[in-house]
Amino acid sequence: MIVFWPLALVLIASAVFTITAKKPVYSVVGLLVNFAALAVLYVTLNAEFLAFIQILVYSGAILILFLFVIALLSSGTKAFDVGPDRLPKILIPGGLFVFVVLACIAAVTVRLPFVTRPLAAVGVTGNENVFGSVADFGTALFTTNLLPFEITAFVLMVAVIGVVLLAGDEAPPFAKKARPERESIVKTQVLK
Amino acid sequence: MEHVVLGIDGGYPLLVLAWLAPLAGAIALWAFGPRVRSLGGPIGAAICGVAFLALLPLWNAATAIGSHAYLFSTHSNGIGAAGASAVASYSTNASGANAAAVSTLAGIHQSLVSWAPGFTFGLLLDRLSLVWALVITGIGFLIQVYSIGYMTGDRAFARFFAYLNFFVFAMMTLVLSDNFVGLLVGWGLVGLASYFLIGFYFDRPSAVKASRKAFVINVVGDIGILFAIFLMFAAVGSAGYGDVFANVAKLSPGMLFAICGCLFIGCAAKSAQVPLHTWLPDAMEGPTPVSALIHAATMVTAGVYLIARCAPLWNASEESRMLVGTIGGITALAGALLGLAQWDIKRILAYSTMSQIGYMIMGVGVGAYDAGVLHFLTHAFFKAQLFLTAGIVIHALADQQDIRLMGGLRTRQPFAFWSMTLGVLAICGIAPLSGFWSKDAVIYGTLERGYPALYAIGVLTAGITAFYMFRLLFVTFFGTYRGAIDPSSLGIRHPELSGQAVEPAHDHHEAHPTSILMIAPVAVLMIGTIGAGLLWIAGWRDFFAPAFAGAPEGHGAVFLPELGSTILVTAVVLVGIAIAYVRYAAPAALREAIERLRVETVRMPAPLAHAFYFDVAIDALFVKPAQALGRLAGTVLDPLVLDGAVRETSIVTAWLGHLARSFQTGLVRAYALTLVVGAACFVAYYAFGAVR
Amino acid sequence: MLVGPEQYIALSAVMFSLGVAGVILRRNPLIMLMSIELMFNAANLALVTFARAWANNVGHIFAFLVITVAAAEAAIGLAIVVVVFRKTATVDVDEIALLKG
Repeated sequence: MIVFWPLALVLIASAVFTITAKKPVYSVVGLLVNFAALAVLYVTLNAEFLAFIQILVYSGAILILFLFVIALLSSGTKAFDVGPDRLPKILIPGGLFVFVVLACIAAVTVRLPFVTRPLAAVGVTGNENVFGSVADFGTALFTTNLLPFEITAFVLMVAVIGVVLLAGDEAPPFAKKARPERESIVKTQVLK
Repeated sequence: MEHVVLGIDGGYPLLVLAWLAPLAGAIALWAFGPRVRSLGGPIGAAICGVAFLALLPLWNAATAIGSHAYLFSTHSNGIGAAGASAVASYSTNASGANAAAVSTLAGIHQSLVSWAPGFTFGLLLDRLSLVWALVITGIGFLIQVYSIGYMTGDRAFARFFAYLNFFVFAMMTLVLSDNFVGLLVGWGLVGLASYFLIGFYFDRPSAVKASRKAFVINVVGDIGILFAIFLMFAAVGSAGYGDVFANVAKLSPGMLFAICGCLFIGCAAKSAQVPLHTWLPDAMEGPTPVSALIHAATMVTAGVYLIARCAPLWNASEESRMLVGTIGGITALAGALLGLAQWDIKRILAYSTMSQIGYMIMGVGVGAYDAGVLHFLTHAFFKAQLFLTAGIVIHALADQQDIRLMGGLRTRQPFAFWSMTLGVLAICGIAPLSGFWSKDAVIYGTLERGYPALYAIGVLTAGITAFYMFRLLFVTFFGTYRGAIDPSSLGIRHPELSGQAVEPAHDHHEAHPTSILMIAPVAVLMIGTIGAGLLWIAGWRDFFAPAFAGAPEGHGAVFLPELGSTILVTAVVLVGIAIAYVRYAAPAALREAIERLRVETVRMPAPLAHAFYFDVAIDALFVKPAQALGRLAGTVLDPLVLDGAVRETSIVTAWLGHLARSFQTGLVRAYALTLVVGAACFVAYYAFGAVR
Repeated sequence: MLVGPEQYIALSAVMFSLGVAGVILRRNPLIMLMSIELMFNAANLALVTFARAWANNVGHIFAFLVITVAAAEAAIGLAIVVVVFRKTATVDVDEIALLKG
């Protein structure tokens, strides 16, 4: 698995770039690279379907959403993080502590007694007996793990309603008095 | 634990009725006083009369029983088993020394309640408490009848009778209790009743002050008794009369003296013995019937009752007899001397009361219990009569109490004059009036038992008593009426500064006609004043012989026979009367009465005018230090320690709040960091736990 | 150098730490949201790694769930950013310390 190391390098470098970029647009670019590299890693882990989902959902949907918001706020080219930092100084040792703990976790993790089981069969993608194949994933998702899938649908629906209520109008809808009016707004927004 | 029961246990509803009827009357008059108004007096008097009548049928039962002591066991169900059915389970205790000690408590016993294992409350009616209960209810009845006339037109007419009934209940609790705790309850309640009644005119500052003083000093006495009870519990494990007296022989002399001493502190406070007597003259701020009932006839003699009740203790402790006899003698003399210096008719009587109680205490203290108790009985009659007569005089003179402003009342108020004369002769001990027998018995009792110094004091005091009581009689009733004279010509300059309670003890100041309701009780009391002393030769000693078994007897080796002593006392008394006559009632004295009274007022010796500086001394020794302590607490302890603690608490709380506030930055990133720290700790716990 | 699950998990931990650092150190809400996405992906990587290690595709199901939640979270978060920007015309989270005690 020689491909792991370059990918790891790309992942870390792009992540660092994401959190240090001066402008949000640069961060989006860093994140794009990061997600793409991650998708490749998923493939090395026999998770082909997830790799596709990763590209489609993250790169295709979420990052585009970010870009839209950046454009909407017309702050895509502005530098941020100017002015005095108001984070209390007391949090600096706290932050240090977090990193120490995470480092410890990382150190411990590599010493965990992992059991790598041999995969049952390696064959053509589409065979549901092949681990990580789309058929395998789909069977698991719609049979034994149907409830998480339903919950997924519910979460997305709640998110959509929430977004509509939050950003759908100039003023928050709950500030308005007439109830039927608000419902009509929700309907029209959803239909759009 | 075995308990010694006093008297024959049984069911005596009349006894309970006599005990509780005054309480019911008090509550009813308190609650419905404003409704019944003028009926409050008759109701109160009737209830007291009922209590008196309820006691009479018990006479035979309470006195017929000889010297028996009863023991019964209480492990099973406490002493709850009341009633005659339980009598069978008692076994007579006739073993040795206990029998003699306990036999002093022959009488009848009504068990009432048991509120702790081995601790019970019941009513005991024996010869001693019978005498007291009859005096309390009988004289209480007469005085309430008198009060109906005396208090007519007063505000809070019904409240007055509610207080009087409450007092009678409290006093009955005191004398009927079969244990020291019940006695202490009654002891405290009579103090409370006295507080209510002295301060009856609570809008008058002097009355409020006097009532407070009386209450505080009485509480000092209550604490003495409380400590005596503690000692009894420590030494005997019980505060029942029978239990304590049955174990007297087991007590060490030191413990016995400590118990007696603590009990005597209570007696001294309640019975106005030196140095706790200062409240009694001030207590004359109360209405005159109150002075007659509480501060002359009954409450102030509670100390005499207690010592007579605890005769087995005093019999066993020579030092205690010495202590009590000495204090009693000093009080008798001091009271008589202070009586010389008073001009307020009620204060003269108050000091004479103090002096006479000194006699009683001296008598019971040295072991002449029967004489002391007889003096209580006769004194209750003649002193109540004297006070009520004084009340008639005060009433008729529109609340004038200063005898310098009286004079010549013999013709104006003949009934008052004759009543007062009779009372004065009785208190002086002129044969054959009641005071003669009892006082003579007390004075000779001290000599008989080997206390010649006390005997000398007794004889001297008898002479002084005769002088100041006749002074009262002469100045008030002889000569010419001085009520219209300018007070300054009599030397009365500042009534407040002279220490005399000139302020009238009534709240409507006009002359009243004397009603028949005021005369009749005095007439009834006269019978007792004349005849009560005859009980001494009618078997008084034999009557009390079982009650005071084991009392120290006379030594026999007395240098003066009883008849000689009687003649001596009478002679001294006659000398006192003669001096009083020459000074106040001889034709020459009456001619220049005003000038003489002025000179006496102005030249009054300072120690007498200031009551031997007792108030000053108590003020300097106790009141001032207590006030200083209070100021110290107010300026140092409270602001720095107590308030300081509160303040510090608030400061610490505020500081903690500040600390917590500093975490509430409102910064999302700070919250996120906090969240991460928590999560990291959580994960680290499991991560390192997995390694281990 | 042999690559096993340990290396994947360590890589996941590093990515997660970088995400945490981004959230805490940056004041731009957009970059903070992107750092949160980084943390989601680090978690996903761990899930997928464990799924592979134990040959159990429940890990994939979970990763799928996480992706969905991440999408929802991004949508809501961005909506909030838009609303806040409309109200306060700032995109500095330190400026909107409404919960300050």
